[in-house]
Amino acid sequence: MKKVLGSSAFRELLRVMIAIIVALTLGFIITVLVSDDPIGAYKAFLFGPLSKINRFGDWIEESITLIFLGLAVALVFKAELFSLGQEGQMVLGALVAGAIALYVPVPVYIRVPLAILGAMLIGFLWGLIPGYLKAYLNANEIVSTLMLNFVALKIYEWLLTYNIKPEDAGYTASETFSAEGTMPTFFPPIPFLGELRTLFMNQTNISIALYLVIIATFVVYYLMYRTPFGYELRMVGANIKFARYGGVNTKRTIVLAMAVSGIFAGLAGAHLASGIHRKLILNITFGLGFEGIVVSILARNNPLLIPFTGLAYGYLRAGANVMERSSDMSREMVLVIQAIIILLVTAERIMPIIQERIRVRRAQQSGVPPAEADAPRIEGGD
Amino acid sequence: MPFEVVLQGILSPLFIASILRISTPIILPALGGLISDLAGVINIALEGIMLVAAFTGVVVSAYTQNVWIGVLAGIVIGMLYSLILALFHLYLATDIILAGIALNIMAQGGTIFLLFILTGDKGNSSTLASGAVPTITYPFLSSGSWLGQVFNGHNIFTYLAFLFTWLVSVFLYKTPLGAHLRAVGENPVAAETVGINVKRTQTIAIALSGFFASLGGLSLSMAYLTLFQNAMTAGRGFIALAAVFLGGRTPWGTTLAAIIFGFADGLANQLGSLAIPPQWVQMIPYVATVIALVAYSIRRQAKQRERLRRFQEGEVKGAEAGSD
Repeated sequence: MKKVLGSSAFRELLRVMIAIIVALTLGFIITVLVSDDPIGAYKAFLFGPLSKINRFGDWIEESITLIFLGLAVALVFKAELFSLGQEGQMVLGALVAGAIALYVPVPVYIRVPLAILGAMLIGFLWGLIPGYLKAYLNANEIVSTLMLNFVALKIYEWLLTYNIKPEDAGYTASETFSAEGTMPTFFPPIPFLGELRTLFMNQTNISIALYLVIIATFVVYYLMYRTPFGYELRMVGANIKFARYGGVNTKRTIVLAMAVSGIFAGLAGAHLASGIHRKLILNITFGLGFEGIVVSILARNNPLLIPFTGLAYGYLRAGANVMERSSDMSREMVLVIQAIIILLVTAERIMPIIQERIRVRRAQQSGVPPAEADAPRIEGGD
Repeated sequence: MPFEVVLQGILSPLFIASILRISTPIILPALGGLISDLAGVINIALEGIMLVAAFTGVVVSAYTQNVWIGVLAGIVIGMLYSLILALFHLYLATDIILAGIALNIMAQGGTIFLLFILTGDKGNSSTLASGAVPTITYPFLSSGSWLGQVFNGHNIFTYLAFLFTWLVSVFLYKTPLGAHLRAVGENPVAAETVGINVKRTQTIAIALSGFFASLGGLSLSMAYLTLFQNAMTAGRGFIALAAVFLGGRTPWGTTLAAIIFGFADGLANQLGSLAIPPQWVQMIPYVATVIALVAYSIRRQAKQRERLRRFQEGEVKGAEAGSD
């Protein structure tokens, strides 16, 4: 049992590694073709995030958002629900967290937790809608969540433009949050490390969201594998009919899965608003829409792996930004690399086909007629 | 008082003409979305295919100085791009949603990446002298008349949008391939049993959806505007997908739904003079789509129940009801 688990996990890891290596190699080929200084550009891409403390900060901040989103996606994907609604939940989470940061006049140790809880709540509520529609009315969750994303973005845009933006502001953004509404730095005030703390505070926006994301990871793991809800969620994902016959309240599970997933997307929004930007800006979720899906897929929807894939993915994005600033390459190259990784990791049949090729070749070399080796084609073809 | 201004604005022939212009890049990809959805292969990559085709059309027309070669190149490259989806989903067993998302990401990044290489600018292709498809003006409709203002000056993609709506409905309901396509979407196992090649049919459906998404993209970059812009599709590929559901998965319904989206967009622009936030109006089609989706699902459930009831009454043998 353990051996099987180990070997299949190993195969998964191998597959992800191969995908990343192939994609990075293709990226390098593109760089060689395009750049005047391909080595320098690729160096900046691969090592940039570690070269300066502010770049390191960008990497960690970006990864925190990605990990929250990945956790949100894992919860729904584990139940085989294709909810694409994280962007909507995230933008509303940012809105609520931002509104509390701006307008609720209580001290920081109440205001920040309140903002975080508010963002979690709105994410939960916004997830209830497509969950209910899916469970009780069998409405396609892909389309409903996509539509609700647009609705959420419009609500955000409207409130920001007409209510939150100061009258005299030149561009559409809120005022910068006061320190009372901002997530404090992750660095605890240790007396003899004061200088390092100031350095991190000045150069980066890494906040207590770092601890939140670690807690969130274990919470999702616990929910998924140690609670009845998680068991039912995985049952629904594995075989919904079987789950129903087995006495699982599948409708309730679907609604809850979508809503609980929203909590974590809401947290990502709170992190964006009061951790990173420290104000509400237009297009605050720009470019993050479906990134949680990628993070979760690379981790095979396993919550304990999501921090690692989130960090890896955030590293690619942060590296691309450094590359753009320090070379003639544009950071959009990394989007192509990302897409190739997704395609290679999710193509279920690539590994079997490669293995089949190897088997046929070996059979030919050892003199067995290829027809025989050819016989056991890929199992389970539909 | 300002409300009258808006009302006048909506009823004006110029507004009607603008709705047709705005709707064109939604109608065309929506037809593609319809075909792939009916074949059971939901195409999330419409957005990406549109971008690729829009970009290719602009670049090729700029370098060849021939609009039609540009259009043709856009269609060919757009369709090839859509075939990547078919390859990965049908032959390498990638989940179609994830493959679609990957293609969207690649199109978004790839077009900007290449644009930067070609022009040194990431925003738009204004330095490239790309072409525009011709517009049609009727000599017998004077530009001052109501009819003239509504019908004159539309680009050929607008005409193609309506022509193809009709052709797609003929294709789907009057040809064997159309029937096969719908059968595959309804129940692939049953279709396989009666000898329909499911994979081939779905490949054709994805290629056709690529064709229409390409036309939609080209209508954006070679007619609606005459240049390529960073992420110029602005979610139209997803709106097109929504139009399919809002339109009850029929060709004319889909086109009508796409026009409703266009209308809301145009109306939101008109409301600039009023105190009503444009976002409210822009929100309406999305909410309407969710409602339409629910209505569609309820109707389908009722139908299934009815079919099951008749089946149980008519036959003694119990059998598995078709997969849901």
